[in-house]
Parts: sequence; C-alpha cells; structure tokens
Amino acid sequence: MKLIALMKKEFHRFFHDPRLIVTMLLPGILLYVIYSIMGTAMYAEKEPQAYKVYVGGSSAAVSVIETAIAATGDTVEWLPLEDEEAARAEVERGEAAAVLLFSENFDEFPQDSSVRIVYNGAEEKSSNFYAIAGAALESYGMRFSVIPESVKSDEEIGRTLFAGFLPFLIVTLIFSTCMGVTIESVAGEKERGTLSTILATSAPRFQIALGKVIPLSCIASIGAASSFLGVALSMPKLMGVSLGAFGGYPVWSYLLIFLLILSLVPLIVASITTVSTLSRSVKEASAYTSVIMILFMLLSIVSAFVPTMGDWVVCIPILNAVGAMGSLFAGQIPVWQSLVSVGLNFVYSALLVLLMTKFLSSERVMFGK
Amino acid sequence: MQEIVRAEGLRKTFTLSKKQQRIEKTGETRKIAVDGLSFSAYRGEIYGLLGPNGAGKTTTLRMLSTLIRPDAGDAVIAGHSVVKEPDKVRDKIGFMTSELKLEKFFTPDYLFDFFGAMHGVPKEKLAARKRELFSRFGIDRFRGVRVGDLSTGMLQKVSLVVAIVHDPAVVIFDEPTNGLDVLTAKVVTDFLLELKAMGKSILLSTHIFSLVEKLCDRVGVIIDGRLIAEGTLQELCGEMQLEDKFFEIYRAVKGEIV
Ligand SMILES: Nc1ncnc2c1ncn2[C@@H]1O[C@H](COP(=O)(O)OP(=O)(O)OP(=O)(O)O)[C@@H](O)[C@H]1O
Ligand SMILES: [Mg+2]
Repeated sequence: MKLIALMKKEFHRFFHDPRLIVTMLLPGILLYVIYSIMGTAMYAEKEPQAYKVYVGGSSAAVSVIETAIAATGDTVEWLPLEDEEAARAEVERGEAAAVLLFSENFDEFPQDSSVRIVYNGAEEKSSNFYAIAGAALESYGMRFSVIPESVKSDEEIGRTLFAGFLPFLIVTLIFSTCMGVTIESVAGEKERGTLSTILATSAPRFQIALGKVIPLSCIASIGAASSFLGVALSMPKLMGVSLGAFGGYPVWSYLLIFLLILSLVPLIVASITTVSTLSRSVKEASAYTSVIMILFMLLSIVSAFVPTMGDWVVCIPILNAVGAMGSLFAGQIPVWQSLVSVGLNFVYSALLVLLMTKFLSSERVMFGK
Repeated sequence: MQEIVRAEGLRKTFTLSKKQQRIEKTGETRKIAVDGLSFSAYRGEIYGLLGPNGAGKTTTLRMLSTLIRPDAGDAVIAGHSVVKEPDKVRDKIGFMTSELKLEKFFTPDYLFDFFGAMHGVPKEKLAARKRELFSRFGIDRFRGVRVGDLSTGMLQKVSLVVAIVHDPAVVIFDEPTNGLDVLTAKVVTDFLLELKAMGKSILLSTHIFSLVEKLCDRVGVIIDGRLIAEGTLQELCGEMQLEDKFFEIYRAVKGEIV
C-alpha cells in the first residue's frame, strides 16, 4: 500500500509537469534531428557511385543486390571472376568494391550453401557496398550463410559503428535521460527537506527506496526508448543505407536488444539514486553522478576496442550488456550472454536498492550536519 | 495524571568533523549534545522544553521522533519505545519542525492523502478526517492550490494539518514560532491551543519565554543537554517572572552569563 502511494507520487510529479516530460523526450528528438542532418549532409552531396564487383558462381541474388544499390542511386558493374588473386588485389587497392563468391547451385539452397563477400573494411566505398549487399542478402532468405571477409582490417566501418559505437551511444543516452529525473527527485528532495518529511512517517525505508527506483526507471525507460528510436531511425540516413538500420536482423535480436536496454535503466537509475541519497545537495549529487557517468562510458566503449574478451565479461555491469549488444549488432545472437547479463543487471540493481535503504536508515547520511 | 511521554537517561554524542570543530571553536572530536536527559509529559497537556541555543532541544526532539537514535537511555511515547519500536512511535506522533518541508509542486489535497497513506490510515477514515480538518482550519478553499502558491500562513496551516493526518496522540513541535512573522506565529499558537482542546498531548521546544507563558502547562529547563528544573509555571517560578527565574537558574549552573 505505502509502496504504491510512493510510486504514484513520483508518476504524478512527472506527468503533471510538462517541463519534465519535454526534458525526457528531447534527447531522442534532438538526436534524430542532428543525425538526420549529419546523414543528409554526408550523403546529399555524394556523386552516384559505380561499384565494380567480381562475381564467382551465379545466383539470382545478384539482381536483388542490384535493386538495393539502385535504390540508393548508385550502380554496379558486375564482372565475371576469372583470377581470384588478381580480383582480391584490386579490392585491396580500392579499385574494385568487392568479390562475391556463391557456392555451387546456390539458388537451390543445398545444405551448405554460402556466399562469401570479400571487401575492404578500410575503404568507404567497399564497406558501403558490403553493408548494402549484406542487408540485401539477409532479406533474400536465411537458408544460406553469408561469410564476410575483409581484406584489410577486420574493423570495417559499418560494423564498428554498429557493434562498437551504438551500444556506447545507447548507454550514454540512457544515462543522460536517467540523470535529469533522478538527481532532481532524490537529491532535490533531500536538499529541499521533503525527503525527511517522508522519513518521519512509518513508511519502511526499503519501500521508500523502491518507491524511487521503480517509477524513475519506468520514466527513464520512456526517455531511453525515445533516444533509442531517435538513433535507430536516423542511423540509416547516417549510414546512407536505405534498408533500415536493423534490416535483416531476426526478431530474437530485437527482443534481446530491448531486454538489454531495459536492464540497463534500473541499474543506472539505482546507481544515481544511491549517490544522490549520499549527497547533501543537488550540486554534490551532480558531481558524483558525472564520475559514475564517465566510468559507465568507459566501460561501454572498452568493448569496441577490445573485441575478444572472456566469458567473465557477463559479470561486469554495463560491460556485459554492451558486449552482448555489440555481438547482436554484428549479426550474432548471443542468447545466454544476453540473458545472463540482463539477469545480473537486475540483481545489481536490487543490491543498489538495498544499499540505498541502508543510507536512508542512516541518521549520519540523512540528518548529519 | 497519566504519563504519555517518558524520557529516561537520553544521551546523544556527535562526532565533530574538522569543519564543525572550527565552527564550535573546540579541539574536541566529540560533542555531547544531550547528557542523560529525563523528563515526563502528561496526557492532554502542553509541555515545553526551554533552553538557550545549543542546549540540545532539537537533538532531544529528534530522538523522540525517532529520526536519530539515542546512544543511551530510552523514551516511551504512548506506550512504545523509541529505541525498540520506532515504527510504532512514528504512527503515534506528529513531528513538526521547519526542517521537514512539503513538496511545493503538490496540492494540500494530494499531500494529505499521500501522508495519510504513508501512515497507513484507511481510506474512509482519511476522507472523513480531511473533511473535518480542512474545514476546521479553513483550508477548504485552497485544497486544490499548489503548496508553492499558498501564502506563508496558509502553508504553515497545511504543514500542521498534514503532520496530524494520522490523528497522533502526541504532537512534537521544535521551535513552533521561530522565524515566523507575527501573523503566522499566531496561526501556529492558535493551532496548538486548538490541538490541546482536541485532547492531544503536545511537546514543544523553545527559547522564547512568552511562548512558554502563553501555551505551556508544564516546563522543563534544559541547559547543556541536562534537565535542570521541571514543573508547572507556578511551581517553577513562584512569584517571579519566568525570564528572571530562568537567568537565576542559568547563573547557578554556568556561573556568569557571557
Ligand atoms: N549532527 C550533528 N553533528 C554534530 N553536532 C551536532 C549535530 N546536531 C547537533 N549538534 C550539536 O549539538 C548541540 C546541541 O544542538 P541542538 O541543535 O540540539 O540544540 P538546540 O537546543 O536545538 O539549539 P538551537 O536553539 O540553536 O536550535 C549543539 O552544540 C550542536 O552544535
Ligand atoms: Mg534547535
């Protein structure tokens, strides 16, 4: 009963204050606008590209790719593959965009049918072709495997952007949306003396802590969703790919990404509420929170630079979700890694709620001078 | 006379930070704020704790309202120990102090219901009590106005009413009129007399002699965290003015007045 009243109060406070709602939705809208402009600026001026691609084997998939390429205003020149070594060398030098190698009888989809895409991750043109062709092939059917192969670095631009940068962006966005509402609600209430008024009642401290973390997480989820949509919708424009940012990813991936994001929100909110409870003022809470923010940002960018990390990563909050998201954006489906990360993040959030309960019960923290 | 508040050997020591040591101009790392304080207040009366700045009044009232724990000693309020059953005590008392504030964003209506829920007051009882208290203290017309937009006097009334939403047996009030203008101060003293008329027991702290003379049935004089004298105004002062009596006591305890 008391918990419900406490939660209702937070929601009431939020939904009756247009200013707070706007601050929550703004980051997403802003991101969409900024990224769209950036994307448009990057690709508006671009000359129509003519991709030179060698094809080994044959498949109707070629025409699907051609249609996708045509949709972006570019053209492809298909050349039959005669000397693979020479073609690879051309890709490496940046003269040809890619080499496509279809396995035998590809269009009949035998058991082990596959298509190999040799491209150059260091060349923008080549990576663009790969991004479009890869997405087009995914939409063509799932009964074969696409084997990407970059002749230069492994970190081709498109994948790095998705696999490395996007999770970082998501964590940063969630953090900034959580920060606004949470600091105001906890450190603000403490500073204004309204939290003490609640502490003077018989409301259990644990419920007071939960009564902050649950509603604030729900509210921040709205902000996170807005930011995420902003990124997702503007990403195709930014990448100049017209097939949709996550085109070709199976439903499972979406679900896992969604769960991972959802598990990050309470973790971040609980961290901020806990330090806000410790702080004497909003100013102090903001200072502590920026330290946490930097820490979380570091954790979330680490996985982009250190591509192979052991399984122990799932134990580390933030890093676990970021790692899993990175794999998901790269086209893998790390079910266990994702689910364990989500579960652990909820456990960590619960532990933080307990810590906050301890702080709320401490007269030194709440009523010390 | 039935005892409703009984404090026994209450003691509270604070650890001073470097900064606090400088402010207090002392090299000691510990400060004894309340030093074995005992007193009793009776049902239906207004009991005043009278003392100078730093005497330990606020610390005592905070211990009684269970916001902080005594290092030693205990107090029993309406049958419950502040040390062993703080939650039960919180439902028996209404604690009022200028430090406990109401969120400016909400209306009196909302806050009344919210704090009713915090004390676990059943819905029907809460509604009836709201009707009664709001009309009795003239809050009805302002029930839908955000607290931040109310006049100081009305805000004060709302804070007082919200503090007794759960119909507590004992009202504890730290420095009732401190920092208030004459009109708002009158709102508060009238409110306290009204509460007394409603049969509540009231425990307040103050350093204002006239307030004690106007409101209190009995008074305890507290200096340096210890109870020095106690009794009805008549018992305490006899023929003397309270002010003169207080300084006489103070001089006896501390030597000269600086
Ligand atoms: N949290 C704290 N930490 C350190 N010292 C404290 C703390 N609270 C109170 N004190 C010290 O304890 C002593 C008693 O303080 P208290 O606030 O109880 O006095 P008071 O009688 O209410 O005085 P005033 O009239 O100024 O309100 C003071 O010397 C004060 O500085
Ligand atoms: Mg005081």
